[in-house]
Amino acid sequence: MSEPAPEQRATATGPGRVLIAVYAIFALSATARAGVQLATKFHEAPLAYLLSAFSGVVYILATIGLARTGPAARRLAWTAVSIELVGVLVVGSLSVFDRAAFPSATVWSGYGAGYGWVPLVLPLLGLFWLFRTGRNGVGKAR
Amino acid sequence: MIHPLAVALVILTGALAVFGIVSTVLGKPPERPIVLAVGVVESLLVAQALIAAVRVLGGVRPAETSTFLIYLLVSVCVLPFFLQFARAEPNRWGGAVIAVGAVAMGVVVLRLLELWAGAHV
Repeated sequence: MSEPAPEQRATATGPGRVLIAVYAIFALSATARAGVQLATKFHEAPLAYLLSAFSGVVYILATIGLARTGPAARRLAWTAVSIELVGVLVVGSLSVFDRAAFPSATVWSGYGAGYGWVPLVLPLLGLFWLFRTGRNGVGKAR
Repeated sequence: MIHPLAVALVILTGALAVFGIVSTVLGKPPERPIVLAVGVVESLLVAQALIAAVRVLGGVRPAETSTFLIYLLVSVCVLPFFLQFARAEPNRWGGAVIAVGAVAMGVVVLRLLELWAGAHV
């Protein structure tokens, strides 16, 4: 289990695979949801639906970043998961304090309450996992 | 859709999720028993999707028909990929990966039921 790793641990190993599985589900559901919304009723709530699509793209990029190995994939994962955290906090707050801007729900509305709060917890787990798996390599590089 | 089949699938996906979590807790890699369990659930999901698709083609209109059809497609596509992903690194975490897929498919079946309840012929 805890043999000293000479390199950074790949994010797509061990419990990281469970994380990737959850990200893949959110990538799929957010993208599919946005696709239907944009195709059938874009004019009803353009901002909410575009944000839906944006969240879908962020989840896809985070899934790819976490599932692949290497410095570029790790950077992609850090960026996507950070944007995801900012997104759920900003959109969550806006949807609570300015309901008029969000007549229709997105994945991030109400801090992800409609999805069992998973959208709020997921980026925290993602950042934690990136930090955990990246530590060895960072220490060695310096 | 057939209501009893959908209800059975909600229960079975829940049971599959418990199976997956238990194998993770016990530290077992995903082997034959859980592969068979995924096979049973997947076969029933495919049966349900075929029945529902035939009934939609026959003129039943669930609420938000396009969303309903996308959910049907998702309901049959996810578990095979998750099973493969779970077995690609055969360790205890495979069970949890299958559990994530099973819970998601349970939610999908619940959404299908909801949309079907709003159907008109």
